[in-house]
Amino acid sequence: MASCWIENSTLLTAIVGTWAPFVTFVLIMLFTRHRPKTSAGLSLASATVSLASALVLLGGHWNLQRPLEYTGRWLVSGDIYIPFGYLLDPVSLLMLTVVAIIGFLVQFYSLGYMAGDPGFSRYFALMSLFLWSMMCLTISPTLFQLYIFWELVGLSSYFLIGFWYEKFSAGQAGKKAFVMTRLGDVAMFLGVLLILLHLGNLNILEIDSPKIVGLMPPEMLTLAALLIFGGIIGKSAQFPLLTWLPDAMQGPSPVSALLHSSTMVAAGVYLFERLFPFFLFSSTATTVGLAIGTISMLLASTMAMVSRDIKQIWAYSTISQLGFMLMGLDAGGLFAGAFHLTTHAAFKALLFLCAGVFIHQYGTNDIYDLAAKGTRRMRVPMLCTIIGAGALAGLPPLSGFFSKEVILAKLAGLPNPIWLVAALLGVFLTAYYAFRPIFIMLFPPSLPAANASNAAPEGTRHRLLYRIMVGPLVILAGATVALGFLQTPLRNFLAGQYTGLTTAGGAHLGWLPYVTSLLATGGVALTWWEFGRPGARQTGFVDGIPVIARFFAERWYLDRLYRAILDHAVDRGISAVLAQNDTRVIDGSIDGISRGTVLAGRLAALINAGMIQYRLLMIFAATVLLSLYFFF
Amino acid sequence: MMNSPNFPILSVITYLPLLGILVICLINSKRHDLIRWVAFLTAAVTFLVSLPLYFRFDAGTWEMQFVENIPWISQYGISYHMGVDGISLLLVLLTTFLSALAILSTWSAVDKGVKGYMISLLFLETGMVGVFCALDFVLFYVFWEVMLIPMYFIIGIWGGPRRIYAAVKFFIYTMSGSVLMLVAILVLFFTHYHATGIMTFDILTYHRFGLPANMQFWLFLAFFLAFAIKVPMFPFHTWLPDAHVEAPTAGSVILAGVLLKMGTYGFLRFGLPIFPQASVDFIPVILILSVIGIIYGAMVSLVQDDIKKLVAYSSVSHLGYCMLGMFALNLEGVKGSILQMINHGLSTGALFMIVGMLYERRHTRLISEYGGVMKVMPVFATLFLLVAFSSMGVPGLNGFIGELLILIGAFKASLGYGLLATIGLVLGAVYLLWMYKRVMYGRITKEENKNLRDMTGREYAYLVPIIVFIVWIGVYPKPFLDKMDVSVQHLLEVMGQQRTVMLDVPEHSELRATHAMNNYEQYAADQGR
Repeated sequence: MASCWIENSTLLTAIVGTWAPFVTFVLIMLFTRHRPKTSAGLSLASATVSLASALVLLGGHWNLQRPLEYTGRWLVSGDIYIPFGYLLDPVSLLMLTVVAIIGFLVQFYSLGYMAGDPGFSRYFALMSLFLWSMMCLTISPTLFQLYIFWELVGLSSYFLIGFWYEKFSAGQAGKKAFVMTRLGDVAMFLGVLLILLHLGNLNILEIDSPKIVGLMPPEMLTLAALLIFGGIIGKSAQFPLLTWLPDAMQGPSPVSALLHSSTMVAAGVYLFERLFPFFLFSSTATTVGLAIGTISMLLASTMAMVSRDIKQIWAYSTISQLGFMLMGLDAGGLFAGAFHLTTHAAFKALLFLCAGVFIHQYGTNDIYDLAAKGTRRMRVPMLCTIIGAGALAGLPPLSGFFSKEVILAKLAGLPNPIWLVAALLGVFLTAYYAFRPIFIMLFPPSLPAANASNAAPEGTRHRLLYRIMVGPLVILAGATVALGFLQTPLRNFLAGQYTGLTTAGGAHLGWLPYVTSLLATGGVALTWWEFGRPGARQTGFVDGIPVIARFFAERWYLDRLYRAILDHAVDRGISAVLAQNDTRVIDGSIDGISRGTVLAGRLAALINAGMIQYRLLMIFAATVLLSLYFFF
Repeated sequence: MMNSPNFPILSVITYLPLLGILVICLINSKRHDLIRWVAFLTAAVTFLVSLPLYFRFDAGTWEMQFVENIPWISQYGISYHMGVDGISLLLVLLTTFLSALAILSTWSAVDKGVKGYMISLLFLETGMVGVFCALDFVLFYVFWEVMLIPMYFIIGIWGGPRRIYAAVKFFIYTMSGSVLMLVAILVLFFTHYHATGIMTFDILTYHRFGLPANMQFWLFLAFFLAFAIKVPMFPFHTWLPDAHVEAPTAGSVILAGVLLKMGTYGFLRFGLPIFPQASVDFIPVILILSVIGIIYGAMVSLVQDDIKKLVAYSSVSHLGYCMLGMFALNLEGVKGSILQMINHGLSTGALFMIVGMLYERRHTRLISEYGGVMKVMPVFATLFLLVAFSSMGVPGLNGFIGELLILIGAFKASLGYGLLATIGLVLGAVYLLWMYKRVMYGRITKEENKNLRDMTGREYAYLVPIIVFIVWIGVYPKPFLDKMDVSVQHLLEVMGQQRTVMLDVPEHSELRATHAMNNYEQYAADQGR
């Protein structure tokens, strides 16, 4: 049977592509831990296999008519089955390709970045572990499989954030990331169980089909959607669980580029795409989602405006852009969200990898320090950063402009104009904070003499590492420019998804692109005035009001609030009270009872101790009592 | 010989350790290593002998298997009746498995009175296996008490500084519970005698004996106290941290791994089938106490500065899940509960072993005395993390499967309790990772920690087998769950015959949930085609 064979070859490609990194992980952990070169080779080889298979799958199913699904049974026990397999449709194919491409580029880059690190093998093992779990997450046909790999990417994130374990803050950040996302995950888990109880299975295609409305009462559906959205909030670092992501920057820069900007944190948005029709069934859920996305976008933007740490700035911008994608999706724009996810993956990975080159060279994250040490002399990374920031700011004709445009059009179609206004404000703020580090690094007040700190790293080995790192930058920069022009093919490709789903089409306002470009340019111009123009004092307008600047820099005191809740309410509050309850109340009363028993025993022993005085006393007392009893 | 149907395999498993004790008695008490080896080999052989139980166990029937039934004191209807079903099978295997590894885990740490120590451990094994196999009340009670004594000595003689307090506390708590149970057993016996004129202590007979409801209430209460102390359920748990902290590593491993399961096993073997009506009446109480236990244990773990105490309190939380699943009284819940008993035995047993490894190196269990250990003990760090993840229920490891089944069961029974119980999932990650971070991450600040040895061969030998099972159950739990399937179904059917109402959930929602699950099964079957 020809069709069977074709299906099998697809299946084979998918299996090989997704599981190759896992094999690498096991091999490195078991055998090649002490041979860094072999480990890196294995890891890169498997990343190449994954990339090739993703491209083959994407190419082979470019004209996919209906989703391809394969499930096998993973037996838990007699009557409980959990289906495992693959679901290939435009949404998952696109995401799979994004993950594979960036995964490959970042691993290649890491050859240079991580060279000489004592944990070189461990690093590549963990990256492979991540790649495997992320790809399996992407192609999950059931929510259950998705949840399992959802947790596993969280696990890889925990390992990789705390990769430099001797840095205590790295361990701290890893724990924080894991716990905060877990908070969301548990909500999601509950939502998943709710769906299971009503629908009877967790097949994503069935959850997305209209029959769910018949099986779940509306309030249950809303509850489930909100609970699952809780998982998205955790994973995509949205308000109020957003503070783990900036801390996650403690990990190596390529990790930030792959996990904490372009793919893993985008898994939350991807889940929304996956369950897009399901979320749209509940208007409450989409409204809440819209609000959360908007709040996160604006909040993170303000935080990015005052940060001095280059990676943190890009981390805040990630939160902000993920919020922006969620806004687009909640407004009913599947393509809007997916397209921005794709362009964002390219330009944000680019920004982080560039930041990695600077940090690798100069050993600091502070933008003012970097500027003073002469980052502007590193031409290629600097140019790439400018391209990435331009795309982030939404300057035409870079890809970010087009993808933001799609989202804005969707938002403009909403009855309430407040979302569009908020989004436009976001565009302005984004342009401002994206170019702040650029101008600071381009125009430092003073530069060291050109030969004191040579831009091009010295030594052949150093130069080789530098070239390895620069290679992926150029490719990503190219993608950042090119992706914007692929809008139409991508739109056609994704049109096959969820056919029959009618959503409110975005308004086609002719003035919107101009306003957006104007706002973005305005934001850049303001930054230039404050940071770039000759003689600029290099302080932002926010810095002029110390209270607000501090407020933003302290992340709106969210971290402090959580810390205070944990310290005072939980650690010193409930937990301490409960621990006291154990020792004082429960043990106290038990010990009291036993002491009482011992005392009673002593007393009884005393009575029978055979001392003649007591005997006589007892007899006397007994006689008195008896006579009292008898005579009265 | 062992393949013949009449081979008394259960008795052999139960009494093999006694044979080991006999041999140890003949050895000069100064020859420590020889004693250790004899003890370990005895336990290892016992485990090997117990393996055929698994392979020859017929998962297709709920009837007791490998039955030995010999009249013992026939004028009172007491018999020597042993047997296992799908509920006790895995617990017996867990006992023999952990006993062997536990002996290995306290090899050189105990160097005084090695002879007595090893004798106690082996004696304990006999008691534990006996409890899980006994099908006669008197026999059960004998094993139940037999097991107390060696544990008392293990804590009281080879324990830490506050060992006497801990041992006495452990003994009094357990004893007061079991005395109540003894009274209840006697009442049960005489009730049955008056009703039918037959004297019997046979447990299976009582499974079919319909007690009047008011009687069920009081007798269940007595059993409940005995088992709730053992589990331990909130608020009867305070003996546990003390006993754990003071006990030597092997004691903690056995205590957490097996002894606590006797409480949960007791509910399954006695509470539910003999007192079905009372069990249903008690559901709200037990579910509330379980949920309190889950959150309470986790909360208190959060503020412990002693690693071992932290792990001990986490047991309170985990056993809360076991009770929650069991009293959801549906297939998923009960199976999850049994699996979680095994999981807890493996994960928490391994955690105690890990604490023991740290203690043997540094002779302190205070979290603040460590820091940066990952640098000097990388392999240990990896295995530690794996076990910690297993304990907090990360997918791919055993804890997840157990918690998943329990939560599905709890959800089907009652939404509210299920929701509350998930708080424990978050807290579990918090206290374990918090502890791990403090012990493992950062720079080494204490001079003493700079030259710690990574895992030794003996340590690999007892930790790796546990980890194999942790991963195995996590990835492919079918071989374990299948064995208990029919027995659990039967248990629920027996209960269902006398059960009238089910929880505080409206009838229709229960029906709908069941209906949905049927759809799911149908769907799953379709997928497989």
